[in-house]
Amino acid sequence: MTDFTVEIDNVVKRYAEHVAVRDLSLRVPRGAVYGLLGPNGAGKTTTIRMILNIIAPDAGSIRILGHPASDPTITDRIGYLPEERGLYRKMQVRRVLRFLAELKGMKAADADRRIDAWLERFDLKTAEKDWGAAKIDELSRGMQQKVQFIGTLLHDPDLVILDEPFSGLDPINAQALKDTIIDLKERGKTIIFSTHIMDNAERICDSVCIIARGEKVLDGQVNEIRESHGSRNVALGFGGRPPSTVTTVLSDRSLVSRVDDSNRYFEVEMADGADPQILLHRIVDTGATVSRFEIVRPSLHQIFLERVGATGVETGMTGHG
Amino acid sequence: MAKLWAIIKREYLERVRTRWFIFATIFGPIFFGAMVIVPAIMAKRSRSTMEFSNTRILDATTTGIGNRIADAMNRGRAPGAEAPQVVVLKLSEVSEAESTATREIKSKQLSGYLIADQQTLRGEEVRYAGRNATSLGDMERLRSAVREAVLAQRLEQAGIDSSRVRDMTFLPLRLKSERITDKGRGGSGTVSIIFAGAIAFLLYMTIVLYGQNVLRGVLEEKTTRVAEVVVSSVQPETLLAGKILGVGGVGLTQQVLWVITTVLMFKLRQPILAKFGISTMPFALPEISIGLALLLLLFFLLGFIFYSSLYAAVGASVNSEQEAQQAAQPMLILLVATAIFINPILINPTSTLATVMSLLPFSAPIIMPLRLALGSVPWYELVISLLGVLLACWGATWLAARIYRVGLLMYGKRPTLREMGRWIAYSR
Repeated sequence: MTDFTVEIDNVVKRYAEHVAVRDLSLRVPRGAVYGLLGPNGAGKTTTIRMILNIIAPDAGSIRILGHPASDPTITDRIGYLPEERGLYRKMQVRRVLRFLAELKGMKAADADRRIDAWLERFDLKTAEKDWGAAKIDELSRGMQQKVQFIGTLLHDPDLVILDEPFSGLDPINAQALKDTIIDLKERGKTIIFSTHIMDNAERICDSVCIIARGEKVLDGQVNEIRESHGSRNVALGFGGRPPSTVTTVLSDRSLVSRVDDSNRYFEVEMADGADPQILLHRIVDTGATVSRFEIVRPSLHQIFLERVGATGVETGMTGHG
Repeated sequence: MAKLWAIIKREYLERVRTRWFIFATIFGPIFFGAMVIVPAIMAKRSRSTMEFSNTRILDATTTGIGNRIADAMNRGRAPGAEAPQVVVLKLSEVSEAESTATREIKSKQLSGYLIADQQTLRGEEVRYAGRNATSLGDMERLRSAVREAVLAQRLEQAGIDSSRVRDMTFLPLRLKSERITDKGRGGSGTVSIIFAGAIAFLLYMTIVLYGQNVLRGVLEEKTTRVAEVVVSSVQPETLLAGKILGVGGVGLTQQVLWVITTVLMFKLRQPILAKFGISTMPFALPEISIGLALLLLLFFLLGFIFYSSLYAAVGASVNSEQEAQQAAQPMLILLVATAIFINPILINPTSTLATVMSLLPFSAPIIMPLRLALGSVPWYELVISLLGVLLACWGATWLAARIYRVGLLMYGKRPTLREMGRWIAYSR
């Protein structure tokens, strides 16, 4: 019994025009919420498809729950929510869900029992209305997403893979999804989700892997990553409008390597070897009223920008994520 | 296996439940029945008007052959019907009389005219022009009337009494044909032609309709991205196989239901037709042996698998209905090319054309059943045909599976043939 749900070793996937994934290795701990982060076209979807055995790697090995990814028995233990969502439009909700469960090796009768519980949980079956008997295209977009999410979890998978799960969700569904992810984690399931929205990842993930251009940039536990990127970041807030001389101080490259204006405060990254104390002195000297000066750990967003940069997106490769 | 079954079940049930399927299954045979009954009624209505009551005979001889022809044409007709008018004229006046008659035909005062001259007396040629010149039945009756008249004239010249000549030449002969095969007598020849034609047409239609149905199903799964969820649970080949078998099952169900209702209607046709005042010749339905039925089923399945797997490959490699229609052209051309030859082959089932078309893998699934229904086919031709279709099926499914597996997850622009070639080369 291994401690890792997913073990990827030196995996390569080439297409005719480009290399989608090059020499990728990562470990997803059992019971973790794992974020696969990267810009569009970084190789996230290709990696997920290889984990799901939809496509095979050209080199390297992938093991899921201790078995090779190509082991046919393993697919029944994985639940997958693709990035682009859709279901058979003309089919009844209950029949779609039963079909998806049967594809995962469930008996129709077992599936039916669970379907009702899930529909109730997501408010698709209430005293007044049973949406289970409706056809998919009679449902609102939000309800369709709920149905698809139920389809992903119906067979109680040990590994749940969600490709950009928050895209297109309204705040209520997003919250429901987040709650479900936490609930799954508490029940010992492993969740992998890909996203390019770092704030989501920072809030939910235990561990992340950032990939760009098909290569791993960094991976590890979120806390450790932020720790290792040191205390070189300063959150700087002003009471009232700061004098223009502040800009001169902040653009001194011997002191500050980068500034990110987050509207209510600035996130300042110190230059190598620069002392935050000196920064504070010089800002106070300008006569500005400082309302906040706090040494913070960098956000994943900052780390991502620092490590991947704006050039992380290769042109013309979107859609193959 | 359970997963394959789940896919077959979904494909089958979701289609059988549609209103379109129920409608087509119920009204199909009624529609076909109407195609048989309505022309029969129309033919009955038009017969009295098209009988040569309104015909002019231009007699350019002085022998009175025109009256004899009119008499022969008139025989066996309903009493009171108007006899053709006979105009006796000189040879030099014929062309003018012809143009007059043509004008009258155009203005619908006349339905046709016939010219009897010396050539007619010699039994060589008689000319007719009229609105019903394309009606094979009318022309056949006209020809035998003229023959009868010429024969009567000759007999009289040979000195036979004119009243006896009339009886001797009146021969309303009807040909009843019966088919004999290796296994013995096989019912009326016409019935077996209709039967064979119906089988070929049914196979053609089912393959076209349900092949395109497979295409649309694949395309729907691709555009709604359901395919991605499904292939994360089963191999793409399983999905492809399940789809083809499920849709094929629907086609088969419809065929069987159609055949059952048609046979029922056939058995009940006499009372139905009698209501319209049409009497029918009693003829028996052709007997279908179990062996023949199994062969028909086998050819249908193989033909369907061949075409629908190609349709599936097209569905997986395109992104919209419009693109699909274009990309499906090659299959449609093969199918239509086959359908065009159904009629000529029905008329001449022992021709080289028939043999060749029943051996070529793309047309064999439709033409070989037609030949089998018409009569015996040498066993070696049957074996070659079956082997060819089997091989073609194997090739088509192999090719389709590879294109399907890659194409299903490729969105964006339609691939070129070159790119599709590369897909086929991909292992996975």
